[in-house]
Amino acid sequence: MTSTQNVATAEQKSRFYSFSLGWLGLLALILLWQLAAILINKTIFPSFTTSIVAALHLITGPIFETDILPSIERTLEGFLISAVIGIAVGMLVGHYKSARSWTTSVFDFLRSLPTPLLVPVAVVIFGLNGHMVVATIVSGAIWPILINTANGTSTIEPTMIDTAKTYGLKGRSLFLRVVLPAASPQIFAGLRIALSVSLVIMVVAEMLGGGSGIGYFIANAQQSFNINGSYGGVIILAALGWIFDTSFLMLERRILSWQRGTVGGSANA
Amino acid sequence: MLEPVLSINHLQVSIRSRDGSMNEVTKDVTLELRDHEFVSVVGPSGSGKTTLLRAASGLRMPSGGEVLFEGRPVTEVPKGMAIVFQEYNKSLFPWLTIGKNVAIGAKEYPQPERVTRVEEALEQVGLKGFSTRYPWELSGGMQQRAALARAMVSNPKVLMMDEPFASVDALTRNHLEDVVQRLWAESNFSALMVTHDVGEAVYLSDRVFVLSARPSTILAEIKIDLPRPRSHLETKQMHRFVELQAEVLERVEEAGRESVGLPDDL
Ligand SMILES: Nc1ncnc2c1ncn2[C@@H]1O[C@H](COP(=O)(O)OP(=O)(O)O)[C@@H](O)[C@H]1O
Ligand SMILES: [Mg+2]
Repeated sequence: MTSTQNVATAEQKSRFYSFSLGWLGLLALILLWQLAAILINKTIFPSFTTSIVAALHLITGPIFETDILPSIERTLEGFLISAVIGIAVGMLVGHYKSARSWTTSVFDFLRSLPTPLLVPVAVVIFGLNGHMVVATIVSGAIWPILINTANGTSTIEPTMIDTAKTYGLKGRSLFLRVVLPAASPQIFAGLRIALSVSLVIMVVAEMLGGGSGIGYFIANAQQSFNINGSYGGVIILAALGWIFDTSFLMLERRILSWQRGTVGGSANA
Repeated sequence: MLEPVLSINHLQVSIRSRDGSMNEVTKDVTLELRDHEFVSVVGPSGSGKTTLLRAASGLRMPSGGEVLFEGRPVTEVPKGMAIVFQEYNKSLFPWLTIGKNVAIGAKEYPQPERVTRVEEALEQVGLKGFSTRYPWELSGGMQQRAALARAMVSNPKVLMMDEPFASVDALTRNHLEDVVQRLWAESNFSALMVTHDVGEAVYLSDRVFVLSARPSTILAEIKIDLPRPRSHLETKQMHRFVELQAEVLERVEEAGRESVGLPDDL
């Protein structure tokens, strides 16, 4: 027990250091930005503080409801749809060897399609709206989830599946009660990538034809030389990315807390 | 005579190897497990013991022969059969506490009986009070005892064991063997254990079957007429124990000699 406690404190320490180092890096970047803005013409490159003020303006103004909220909703919706489909299909493909052989090439082809090329297709199908954005997000965010889930599932210890079958777990309960938790470390790794991919695709899709949203707003602001506004939009995006990732990590740490002691040492006879 | 609880008739198992060719692992195995009997199958590593056990318990389709559990053909793991695997650390679910792991074996029982059953099973294997711990917090021997508790809690008619003590140190192994012996004596299940350890097979069993090298057949059946209850200190010093152990060992070595010269496609 003492040794586990020591491990925990060492882990906490290193987490603390990487945490403060992260903040230091961010601070350096902001200082650099501020310095560069002073040196470069302010009208084409607003300083960090100006951009922050612009971002706060956007958040407190009407843009919040017309563009920021819809973007958040689309991102989360696209991400959740990708998660449900990606996890379900990934588990099936990973569990059944026969399914793996004939799906691999199809999936490899589909996921190699560049997302921006899919936007016009999605526009034709859905129109210039949020559904198009969500569909485009799914087309890109589903792959890291599906592939990680399939990998995690196919590498589950056969003994674990045997155990499940021994106690009558089959069909849906085999997948939900054994395959899903057993593959969850890899699934979460895929979900985390997919969440940031969702955010990026949301912006790209909205810029190319979302009709509303932060991406749409930034594209408009750039075209109408509202430089401060566009940088404010970028700050909001960065903040959103950070909030999403941090909340995701907190959730992951909670759900995967059982993993703490298993990494690298469960066979201590 | 009473119908056997488990009968394995001319079981044959072939496994498709990576290059697509069929690899015959088990050629022809026939054995019966009678009511409240402890039977072991001994064979060297790679002789197909795990394959035999998986086919006999419905985890793998045999390519020939049949397995009957209480007279009915086995197509999946039947209710009333529990299995303890060699790799306890891969058999307990790491995301569940010990109590919840054991409860998987008890899902036939409604709450709150289930909780009591789980607690009783943990107590039987000396893990009282470990219900809320996670598998990684337990030593290997304790994990295997938890796996035993999960098997026992389902109140099985047949307990299948695949080298249940092979992955723990020698002292823990002696202790675990006695835990299994006591559980078997106190309950009324029949046990079928596969192992490469001759001493262990003789110590625990009523009958020992010797498996030939791959493709495996039964080479010999040896009746173990040692008095029960047995203990490591006394039984293992008995002349009869030494004799029986030598007899089994001789047959196992015959199996080994036969395999010399045969191609090994490992
Ligand atoms: N899933 C499998 N795929 C291919 N070959 C297998 C598989 N399982 C077992 N074998 C073959 O069967 C042989 C016997 O394996 P196993 O039953 O595990 O033996 P034992 O348990 O006696 O050590 C192995 O040497 C291997 O060649
Ligand atoms: Mg084996």
